[in-house]
Amino acid sequence: MRVEEILSPNEQLRVKDLIVRFYTYEGIVKAVEKAKLNLRRGETLGIVGETGSGKSVTALTILALTPPPGRVEGGSILFRRLNGSIDDILKLSEEQLIRLRGKEISMIFQEPNAALDPLYTVGDQVAEAILSHRLPEMLDKAIESLGEEVKNGNEGFSTRLQLWAYNEMKKNPKALKLRLVKRLPIIGKMISKRLNQVVREEIIELLRLMEIPDPERVVDSYPHELSGGMQQRIVIAIALACSPLLLLADEPTTSLDVTVQAQILDLIRRLKERFGASIIYITHDMGVIAEISDRVAVMYAGNVVEVAPVKELFKNPLHPYTKALLEAIPRPGATFKSIPGTVPNLVNPPPGCRFHPRCPYAMPRCVKEVPELKRISEEHYVACHLYGGEGHGEHSGGD
Amino acid sequence: MIPVLIGVTILIFAITQLFDPYMRASLYIRDPRQAKNIEGIIRKYGLDQPVYIQYFRWLDQVLHGNLGWSQSIHMPVLDALLTHFPATAELALYAAPLTIIIGTALGKLAAVKKDTAVDHLTRIMAIIGWSLPSFWLGIMLLAIFYGGLGIFSPGRLSTWAENLVLSGKFKVYTGLYTIDAILNLNGAVLLDALSHLVLPVTTLVIINMALLMRIMRSSMLEQLNKTYVIAARARGLKWKTVIDKHATRNALISVVTISGLLTAGMLSGMVITETVFEFKGIGYWAAHAATQLDIPAVLGFALFAGMVFVVANLIVDILYAYIDPRIRLG
Amino acid sequence: MRETPLSIVGLAIVIFFTIIAIAAPVLAPPRPGRDPYMIPRYGYSPIPKPPSPEHPFGLTQGQYDLYYGVIWGTRAAYRIGVLIIAVSALIGIVVGGVAGYYGGIIDEVLMRITDIIFAFPGLILAMALVVAFGPGLDSVTLAMVLVWWPGYARLIRGEFLRIRSEDFVEAAKAIGCSDLRVIVKHILPNAIYPLLIMASLDIGSVVLNVAALSFLGLGAPEGYADWGQLISLSRNWITGKPGDPFAYWYVYTIPGLFLFLFVMGWNLLGDALRDVMDPMIRRR
Repeated sequence: MRVEEILSPNEQLRVKDLIVRFYTYEGIVKAVEKAKLNLRRGETLGIVGETGSGKSVTALTILALTPPPGRVEGGSILFRRLNGSIDDILKLSEEQLIRLRGKEISMIFQEPNAALDPLYTVGDQVAEAILSHRLPEMLDKAIESLGEEVKNGNEGFSTRLQLWAYNEMKKNPKALKLRLVKRLPIIGKMISKRLNQVVREEIIELLRLMEIPDPERVVDSYPHELSGGMQQRIVIAIALACSPLLLLADEPTTSLDVTVQAQILDLIRRLKERFGASIIYITHDMGVIAEISDRVAVMYAGNVVEVAPVKELFKNPLHPYTKALLEAIPRPGATFKSIPGTVPNLVNPPPGCRFHPRCPYAMPRCVKEVPELKRISEEHYVACHLYGGEGHGEHSGGD
Repeated sequence: MIPVLIGVTILIFAITQLFDPYMRASLYIRDPRQAKNIEGIIRKYGLDQPVYIQYFRWLDQVLHGNLGWSQSIHMPVLDALLTHFPATAELALYAAPLTIIIGTALGKLAAVKKDTAVDHLTRIMAIIGWSLPSFWLGIMLLAIFYGGLGIFSPGRLSTWAENLVLSGKFKVYTGLYTIDAILNLNGAVLLDALSHLVLPVTTLVIINMALLMRIMRSSMLEQLNKTYVIAARARGLKWKTVIDKHATRNALISVVTISGLLTAGMLSGMVITETVFEFKGIGYWAAHAATQLDIPAVLGFALFAGMVFVVANLIVDILYAYIDPRIRLG
Repeated sequence: MRETPLSIVGLAIVIFFTIIAIAAPVLAPPRPGRDPYMIPRYGYSPIPKPPSPEHPFGLTQGQYDLYYGVIWGTRAAYRIGVLIIAVSALIGIVVGGVAGYYGGIIDEVLMRITDIIFAFPGLILAMALVVAFGPGLDSVTLAMVLVWWPGYARLIRGEFLRIRSEDFVEAAKAIGCSDLRVIVKHILPNAIYPLLIMASLDIGSVVLNVAALSFLGLGAPEGYADWGQLISLSRNWITGKPGDPFAYWYVYTIPGLFLFLFVMGWNLLGDALRDVMDPMIRRR
């Protein structure tokens, strides 16, 4: 599949005409309808929208983890891999996806407590990420550390056994003989000893990077023993353990205290600098969007209705929904303005533009025709019949 | 737990109060000659005292091991319990783990393959198992395998094996014939004992795994919807690993209680199954005693069963704490 | 509800048995002047006789007509089952309602009592009670009620606790309704649904337990139209005749089949009812 042409050199991800539908007893929920997004390398794209706008579903679909009973019914998600090639994530096999998830694309979640398995220590869970994708590197470290010991004259049975095992693992981690030996009572434990130590050190370093105090103790803690802020740092640690190209952040600070929110936001910003990842940051909080995004995409009822650089969006919002969102931000002294109406039922969404029932500028055309995302100015796109603009559904990531 | 244990004793004691003092006195005597001095016995055990005093004296006797005389088999109730318990324990030893393992495995399978043919099949199996009368299933199995095919037979051992055990040549360590056979290095007795366990254990497993299956299935489904499962997949773990390592372990927690109750139920005597298969455990003894209106036996049995249940609950709680770190350290 | 084929099967089975129970006097006319629940005997020989035109299901040990036995056994099952559940439910509603409404010490005490009864496996406690009362169906009924009511009490108590803090109850109390009125007119109608579901699921278990007690010889006397009793009569005949191991198949297969299908039908129905009432499960 020749997709090289379709992503421009500094584009990291492009979501094209994505359609996701949920098949429930109440009917077919048209959760995401021909969504278009693109992400440039190294940028933070904020996605803002109310609950039910389809933003979370889109994020999960980028990892091909659409929760059942959801199904992807159309569109493509083009992603530039680590090795430079370009893949449509929706067309990858599960085996290929396993190598992608956690390594090239990672995700952090809204409720850190729910994102961690209560039965395992946080260290164990970070180790899962590291061992899934960085095993050869860890094996090398273990071999090197064992080699040091051999040089110093320590050539005991345990050392030789581990050296043998690790070299074998490098060749073929799934080898039968390795699996058998691992199950032996005492020897099995012996084999993993040095590797576990190496991984543990790596994890502690990672936790330090997350600005977690006392990482040696935290690494052996269970999730419920940690505060919400700490748990979220762990979740971030897991996500960044393998230096992903893209980090999906699904409302990571929404369920945290306000002060902790600020800390985590700050941490994410600094980590992005350090790891060089691109971020898609999902939230319903305009304040956070303003702080963290380079560009913003506004989603409503499954559609992307406006995309613009953050300053431009705040200064010159075009779509009526965006305008309403900005006006709805509570300001001291001003009267509180909410958006009239409610989020539409997505089993039977309104025809044409899904926002038209709540839109103060609705025209007859809005009921009949779904507006396409059109380019209005340099970087500003909007899907609304109020605006003309160049009518191509594609928007490139800048040339 | 303690108040419930006391409550259990009170309930059993209350049932004894349904009888007049003469009846109750007669329960403590072993042979007819003692009946002449029934007044003496009434005084000895305080059976004419006010109720609350009686309770404590009764309880005192119980704590000293005197639960009365089981006239249906001519031995003290406590002895009868101890003599018959190994058989029940043996049955439970095989039936409980098998039920738990098969039940959870099938429940997990049904959840992972939700709404497929496998799921529906297991659901039907569960409903059939839940609805089957255990005595009828036992009888049908006996009719087919014992009557029809002549493979298995009721009881714990064939006659030759029983004779061997009763003679001095076979040393009885635990009373569980399969274990004793191993300890005696006697393969023939081991085989014989096992063959007598097949049908009753099968009956118990079929009937009891139904509930376990359903609970495991719904527990698994609950876990599979949780965020940590998505998060684990997002890390790049294989679906199989996510299921086995994460979802299953969490799902099993809910299953612990019911497994504990199940095992407790088995250890407190499987009255029906033991009766149908003439497997001489405490349930068999109690059922036999009941038809003979051997009241001390039935009440002693009920008391024992109640105790086992309460203790099992306590063990389940401890197990919970061991498995779930949230409770352990919290 | 009508979605699953299983629930339709359950409904069909239940209707089938209900018709049999109602039509028993027509399907198997009782002998005039005698208790219709006592099965007519056609001799005294212990050896069962195979099905024939006069006796469609044959004669079991003691020459009791099996057809008559299972037909009237259906009626007997309903009779005793419904009676036990109705009385248990009544007691459970009263006890649970009082505990849930008033709370405090009353609740504590009542719940301790249910805890104690729950500490026993049901059949074993019932057995002990029946032996104490003296064998017979009346004792069985009484024993079963005593074993069963705590389940309903717990349920109702839970519902009462949940509902009594709702606004409309506060409103009713505020305008001066007496406690009894509040309970009966306001809380009870809302609390009753889970109980109805539980009761319909229960009839299978109740009938199973009653049959078990009869099987053990503690319930229905010999010759009574009770499935458990009939199954116990069949025990001696599982080996059949020499050369024909299944010669007496009808004696153990037929009453057991009736019992099994009855319980399964009600369980299927109860299951379906519960799926309908529980909105959480419906979503997928």
